[in-house]
Amino acid sequence: MPLIETVDLCQKYDRRDILKNINIRIDKGEVFALIGPTGAGKTTLLRLVDLLEMPASGKIYFDGRDATESKRVRFEMRRRMAFVIQKPIVFNISIYDNIAYGLKWRGVKKSSLCQKVSSILEMIGLSAYQDRNARTLSGGEAQRVAIARAIVTEPEVLLLDEPTANLDPLSAAKIEELITSIIHQYGTTIIMATHDMSQGQRLANRIGVLINGGILQTGDPREVFTSPKSREVAEFVSVDNIIDGIIVSSEEGIVAVDIGGNKIIEAISSYPVGEKVYACVRPENITLTLSKTTSSARNSFIGQITQVVSVGPLSRIEINCGFRLVALVTKRSAEELGLEKGRQVYATFKATGVHVLREN
Amino acid sequence: MPEIWQGLIKAIELIVTLDPEVMSIAGRSLTISVTATLLAAVICLPLGSLIHFNRFIGKRTLINLIQTFYSIPTVIVGLFVFLLFSRAGPLGGLNLLFTPAVMIIGQMILIAPILLGLTVSAFSGVDKAIPDTARSLGASDFQTVAVVLKEARFAVIAAILLAFGRAISEVGLALMVGGNIRGFTRVFTTAISLETSKGDIELSIALGIILILIALIINIVLNRLQQR
Amino acid sequence: MKRNKIFFTLIGLLLISLLASVVGCAAQGSEPLPPQPRLRVATTTSLYDTGLWGYLEPMFEKKYNVALDILSLGSGAAFQYAQRGDVDVLTIHDKPNELKFVADGYGVERVPFAYNYFLIVGPAADPAGIKRLSPEDAFKKLFETGAGSFVSRGDNSGTQSKEKAIWKNAGFDYATVEKAGAWYIESGQGMGPTLQMASQKQAYTLTDMGTYLSYKSKLELVPIVYKGSILLNVYSVIAVNPQTVKGVKIDLTNNLISFLTSPEIQKLIGNYGVKEYGLQLFTPCAGAEPTQ
Repeated sequence: MPLIETVDLCQKYDRRDILKNINIRIDKGEVFALIGPTGAGKTTLLRLVDLLEMPASGKIYFDGRDATESKRVRFEMRRRMAFVIQKPIVFNISIYDNIAYGLKWRGVKKSSLCQKVSSILEMIGLSAYQDRNARTLSGGEAQRVAIARAIVTEPEVLLLDEPTANLDPLSAAKIEELITSIIHQYGTTIIMATHDMSQGQRLANRIGVLINGGILQTGDPREVFTSPKSREVAEFVSVDNIIDGIIVSSEEGIVAVDIGGNKIIEAISSYPVGEKVYACVRPENITLTLSKTTSSARNSFIGQITQVVSVGPLSRIEINCGFRLVALVTKRSAEELGLEKGRQVYATFKATGVHVLREN
Repeated sequence: MPEIWQGLIKAIELIVTLDPEVMSIAGRSLTISVTATLLAAVICLPLGSLIHFNRFIGKRTLINLIQTFYSIPTVIVGLFVFLLFSRAGPLGGLNLLFTPAVMIIGQMILIAPILLGLTVSAFSGVDKAIPDTARSLGASDFQTVAVVLKEARFAVIAAILLAFGRAISEVGLALMVGGNIRGFTRVFTTAISLETSKGDIELSIALGIILILIALIINIVLNRLQQR
Repeated sequence: MKRNKIFFTLIGLLLISLLASVVGCAAQGSEPLPPQPRLRVATTTSLYDTGLWGYLEPMFEKKYNVALDILSLGSGAAFQYAQRGDVDVLTIHDKPNELKFVADGYGVERVPFAYNYFLIVGPAADPAGIKRLSPEDAFKKLFETGAGSFVSRGDNSGTQSKEKAIWKNAGFDYATVEKAGAWYIESGQGMGPTLQMASQKQAYTLTDMGTYLSYKSKLELVPIVYKGSILLNVYSVIAVNPQTVKGVKIDLTNNLISFLTSPEIQKLIGNYGVKEYGLQLFTPCAGAEPTQ
C-alpha cells in the first residue's frame, strides 16, 4: 500500500484551474521528485499533500486513510509530515528555539528535546550559533535551519518545495548534501519539488513531471530523461532537438522517419508506417566532426554552424542542416575543432540515440 | 512663562514631600488606566487575532469601523457609559456610576478600537509564510496564533502603549462617569481640569508634569522590552 | 526565557500601581475599598469652589460614618442627575426650579440653610457707567448702550437663573438679550472660570458673594452693583424623593439635612471665611426662608 496516494485531485484558485486530475502514488521510503516549470502547480500539490489546504475535488489518502475525513484527522496526519517552503523563513527567535518549536508543540519532554535539537544542530553544522537570532542568518544558513526544524520532529514524510531555488551554488550544494545524509540516516519518504531537472536526477528514485497542472509522466529519472512521453515533457527535460516527421518504413524495429527536405532519420521504434511522430535527440548525443566519418552511427547530416553559446564548461552549438540541430560538446572539443559561426560540420548520432514520440 | 517654572518647582515639591493627595491621585490614575489597558488587552488581542485569521462577510467593513473609532471623542464614550450605568439606565442596578470601576469599564470601551485595530494591523504585518510554516510543523490553531503573536510582539506592545496613553490622558470620560469626586474618583486629568477652572495654574502644571513623568517611566520600561 | 521577562514586567507594573493606590489611600486615611455607605451630593459650583463643602465634608463623614461623594455641577445637570436617581441630595440655589422640582414630586422638601447675595462685578473703570444703579437698571443700561461686555454663565445654573430673573424684571425677553450683540458673552462654565473670563476681558458679570470673595485675589474686578432685593441668594438642601426615584438613600440624606441645619454647623457656616476675607461668605438661616 502506498504511503501517500492522490485520486483525481483538483485545485482551483479564484476559479482558475491550478491542478487537474492528479493521480500519484508515493511509497514508503521513496524519494520522489516533482519537476516542472515555475507556475506548474508544484507548490499547490505539495500544500495539498501536507493537508494545509482542502482540494476543490478529489481525494488524498495518507497511510491508507482518507485525509478529508475530519479536521482532527488531518491535523494528526499533518503532524506526521513536515514541509519546508521555498523561501528560507525563520522565526524571530534563536536558532535553538526555531528548531525546538515543532518538538515543543508536540509536548516533548525537555531533556529529550535538548538532545534531539543538539544532534540536529550538529548535523547542519550550526551548533556554535544556537543562541543567535535566526534572522541574522544568511539565506543558505536559514534554509538549513528550516530543514533541521522539519527533520527534528522525525516526520514520516518530508516535503521540500524547491529547497535550493533561492540559494547560491555553494549553499545549494550544502543543502543537497544535507538532504542526501537525511535520506541515508533516516530513510524518510521525501517528496521534493524542483524545476532543476538535474537535481531531480541526482537525488530522486522516481520523477513526476508536472506541467500546466497535470502530471504528464512518472518514472525513474533515466526513463523520463531519455524517453519523454510527450513533446512538453521532452522540451522540459532539455531534449533540444524535437523534429517532426512521418514514418516511411519499418524493419526489424528500426524505422525511417521522413523529416522533409529528403532527409531521413533512423531510429528504434515500434510505431507503424504512416505514423506522425517526433524524433527526439538529446544534444549530448550528437557528435560533431569536420569531415564525414565512417562510424556505425546511422544518422549523419552536413550543416553550417549558426550559433555557438557558452554554457558553463560546455558549448552549445546550433547547426543548420536544412533543419535545426543543437549539439552540446565540451568547450575543449569546440576549441580543438575550431567550431565557430559559419563553419561547416557533420552532425552524427546513433539510431539508438533517437527517441520517437507519437504526435498527439 | 513663569507659570511653567513655578509649576515645575511645585511638582518637585509635591513629589519630594510625597504629598498624600497627589500620591492618592497618582495611584488611582495608574490603577484605573493600567487595569483598563490590561483587561482590554486580554480581550482584544485574541479577538483581533480571530478577526485577522478568519475570512467572513463584512470583514473589511468591520475593520473600517474599528479604525473610525480610534479617535472617537472621549465625551461621547463618556455620555454613552453614563447613560448605561445611570440609575435610570439599563445597568443602573449595578450601582457603578461615579466609582473607579465604571471608569475602568469606560476606558476599556474607549481603547478597545485601538487595541483591536492595531492588533489586526500587527498580525497583518507578519509574513504569511509564518503561520503556514507553523502549521506545517504541526502547530495547532492555538499554537499558530501564539507564534504569529510572538512574531508581531513589537507592534502589539506599541499598540498597548498607545492604548494606555489614551486611557490615562483622557478627561471627558473620567469626568462624566467618575464625577471627579475627591478621594474617590479624582484622577490626574480631572484634577488638572478642576484646578485650572479654579485658577490654580501652578498646581495644574505640577500635576501635568507628574503625569508626564509617570507616562515616561512606563514607556521606558516597556521600550526596553521592545528592544530585543 | 524572554517570554518570562515580559510577563514579569507586566505583573510588576500592575503591582506598582496597586501599591501606589494603597499607599495613597493609606495616606488619605481611608481604606482602598470602603465598606462605608456612600451618599451622593450634587452641589452647585459656588458652594464647592468656595471650599465650603471641602470644609464640611470631613465633619459629616466622621460624625455619621458615611462617605460623601460630592459632585460639583451646574444646577441644570444637578436636577437631571437627581431625577435619574444618580445623586441622593441636592444643595443648590435656584428657587424657581427648586420649587418646580418639589412640585413635580422629585424632591421631598426645599430646606434653605444659608444665604448670601449676588452682586454685579466689573472693571474698576466702569465703562458702561452702571455703578450704584439697581440691578434692573444696570442691566437695562448695558443692553441699551452696549458700552460694556457682560459674561453670562450660560449653563442653566442657579446664577444664570437669577440673571434671567433680573432681565425679566427689567422688562426684557431673555431670547432677545441672548442675541443682543457681541457684548453679551456666554461662558458655559462654572462661577470660578466665568469670573476669570470676565476679569480677562474686563467685563461685567453676575456672581454670588461667596465665590467672588474666594477668587478676589486673582481677579481685576470690583463690586459695581450690590444693592437690590432681587439679589438675595438662598442655598437650599433638597432630598430626592424616594417614592418617585428608586434607589436613593433617604435616611442618609435626612442625616445630612439635620447636619446642615444643626445649630453647631450653622454657626460654622456663618463663620466660614470671615478670618480670611473679613466678611461672611454665607449667612446661616436654619431651614427658614430669609426675609430681606
